[in-house]
Amino acid sequence: MAQILSVEGRPQVLANPGRLTRMIAPAIDLPDYRQLAPEVAARFERIRKRPVILKVHELEKTFGEGPERHVVFDHVSLDIHRREFLTVIGPSGCGKSTLVRIVAGLEEATSGEVFLDEHAVSAPGPDRGMVFQGYTLFPWLTVKRNVMFGLEMRGKSTASAQSEARSWIDMVGLAKFENSYPHELSGGMKQRVAIARALANEPRILLMDEPFGALDSLTRCKMQSYLLQIWKKVDVTILFITHDLDEAIYLSDRILVLGTNPGGVREVIENPVPRPRSPDQAISPEYLALKTRLDELIHGTAEETEEEKLPMARMTLAGDDVE
Amino acid sequence: MAAHRDWLGLKMELPPRRRLQLTILSFVLPLALWSAISYVPFLWHPLVHITDPGDSEYFSADMDVPRADFLSQNRELAAAGQKPAAGYRVNPVYLPAPHAVVRAFYTAFTTPPRLPNEPWLHESLAHSIRTITLGFLFSSIIGVPLGILCGTYRFFARLTEPFVEFFRYLPAPAFGALCVAILGIDDGPKIAIIIIGTFFQQVLVISNTVRKVDPALIEAAQTLGSRGWRLVRRVIIPASITDIYTDMRILLGWAWTYLIVAEVVGTMSGITYFINQQARYRNFDNVYAAIMMIGIIGLTTDFFLAWLGTKLFPWKRRRVAGTAKITPWLKFFPSKAAPKSSPIPAA
Ligand SMILES: Nc1ncnc2c1ncn2[C@@H]1O[C@H](COP(=O)(O)OP(=O)(O)OP(=O)(O)O)[C@@H](O)[C@H]1O
Ligand SMILES: [Mg+2]
Repeated sequence: MAQILSVEGRPQVLANPGRLTRMIAPAIDLPDYRQLAPEVAARFERIRKRPVILKVHELEKTFGEGPERHVVFDHVSLDIHRREFLTVIGPSGCGKSTLVRIVAGLEEATSGEVFLDEHAVSAPGPDRGMVFQGYTLFPWLTVKRNVMFGLEMRGKSTASAQSEARSWIDMVGLAKFENSYPHELSGGMKQRVAIARALANEPRILLMDEPFGALDSLTRCKMQSYLLQIWKKVDVTILFITHDLDEAIYLSDRILVLGTNPGGVREVIENPVPRPRSPDQAISPEYLALKTRLDELIHGTAEETEEEKLPMARMTLAGDDVE
Repeated sequence: MAAHRDWLGLKMELPPRRRLQLTILSFVLPLALWSAISYVPFLWHPLVHITDPGDSEYFSADMDVPRADFLSQNRELAAAGQKPAAGYRVNPVYLPAPHAVVRAFYTAFTTPPRLPNEPWLHESLAHSIRTITLGFLFSSIIGVPLGILCGTYRFFARLTEPFVEFFRYLPAPAFGALCVAILGIDDGPKIAIIIIGTFFQQVLVISNTVRKVDPALIEAAQTLGSRGWRLVRRVIIPASITDIYTDMRILLGWAWTYLIVAEVVGTMSGITYFINQQARYRNFDNVYAAIMMIGIIGLTTDFFLAWLGTKLFPWKRRRVAGTAKITPWLKFFPSKAAPKSSPIPAA
């Protein structure tokens, strides 16, 4: 664990996304983000050969009726292969949560279908584990009993649930806290327990809706590195939601970009940054090329996002200026 | 912590010492007022207790007369050259002094009842406690599960709540005569009135509490494979149990109010009967002592339940930890009123 804990935050200069790439992109000659190095291309070749775990077919979600009608997205189709790490990214309100909630079975699609291992899903189930943005540990259960919850629901005996829960808690490095209550944990620890709790069910796919959104940036970086390590050790496919470009690039194999007005898939990008990932890659050409592209897709091109000047009258004395 | 310098900080939590001081003061102030009226002879004291009637034809020894009458009578007597009456100023008998009430706390228990079939004070109290316990228990046996059911399933809510809502506005005492006709004059109608007074509120309050369970917890449980009755038992009930517990404490307080109403139905019984008899004998010190005993029993029960709550629900301990323990009754909902900024143990 010590070695994991030593992972530092990625370079601070990238804390403000968009700006930097806009600055650097014209200055240095970036490669095409679609251009994959041979070993990266080979890895995608191998991923494509694996069976499809989750198939989303022509999904549409509409809220309201008549003039109130609001199409969040339509014609969303995608295949996720076994042990692939797919990230969905997009601006706020584009329907990322809605998409993942439909896959989880917590919400109904207006039309279209979701197949898990070729079976259509209609209700929530333990085969699709979920980690939410908010903290959803059961406050009345200790860490261990939280992780045991799903196992017990599946009818495991207390003894075997207990020993399995222990090994999952070990995996997320919280053995010392197995008898603590959630309110005694920090935010990052809570999310690690939530991950352990979801994984204990051995789901076919792990759905994560901005799981690190509420964490500070340093904890967030650590959590991302934890997640990659867990993903390597466990047979699980991950559908990850975020609005953070760096998080998406650091974690994923493929990135699906959703847009608004009209809502739907903008592009599905194969991440050209080679694995294993490290924070140092944040200044590699592929990384910057991909980030520039994502930035464009989400925030529009540089010209479109020229900062708006607020039409405000001066309310300070002349000469009383701040830069 | 600069905010703590301000006694009247808006919505600001006071430091524990000040809270304790104010708590004590909240009892000391009314007591001081009561003592002043009782012990300072020129404050109020509207009557004169006659020690020696003198030559007055109207007064006799140990009689309480209005001061105006006493003064005018003495003027007449003085004018006629007769011996004036003597006496000292007193308060009316219905306002005994604090020390008399304090003494009554002891003597009320040790004085045998005047009539052979009258209960002792402790018997009256036991009777009241039995009535309220049975009423509250019977109400809760149905009311709590029904409330949980209504809070969980819209079906049951729609099916029962409109009627319950209507019934809740019917004052429980209005059913007194009916209860006596059906259940006789003993404890039956009294328990029934407590049930009527508690049950309908209970269903609504608890169903509302259950409805407020964080939907994210329910969704999390669903994605972990929990469904149907098991979801209710393993998630919805534990998620709302601490708030239900708080509801029950408040409802129990209301039940005490219904108790006093219930006890006058049929044959008067319990603490109400005791109070009534003592008032008839003009032992007002006993009356005050008995009323205060109700308050003390209520407060003690609530304290005990609050303490029991921290044992039963260890995951809530943080909310009532530290300074809040000293004066939990100052907060109506101790668990909800806890300041947001309470330090979360650093990991
Ligand atoms: N229950 C609902 N009723 C009506 N509209 C809804 C409902 N839930 C979501 N929406 C709408 O659907 C759209 C997508 O919401 P969603 O929560 O999926 O966005 P998101 O991409 O997850 O945003 P964020 O990044 O802020 O979490 C929003 O425009 C929202 O107004
Ligand atoms: Mg969202």
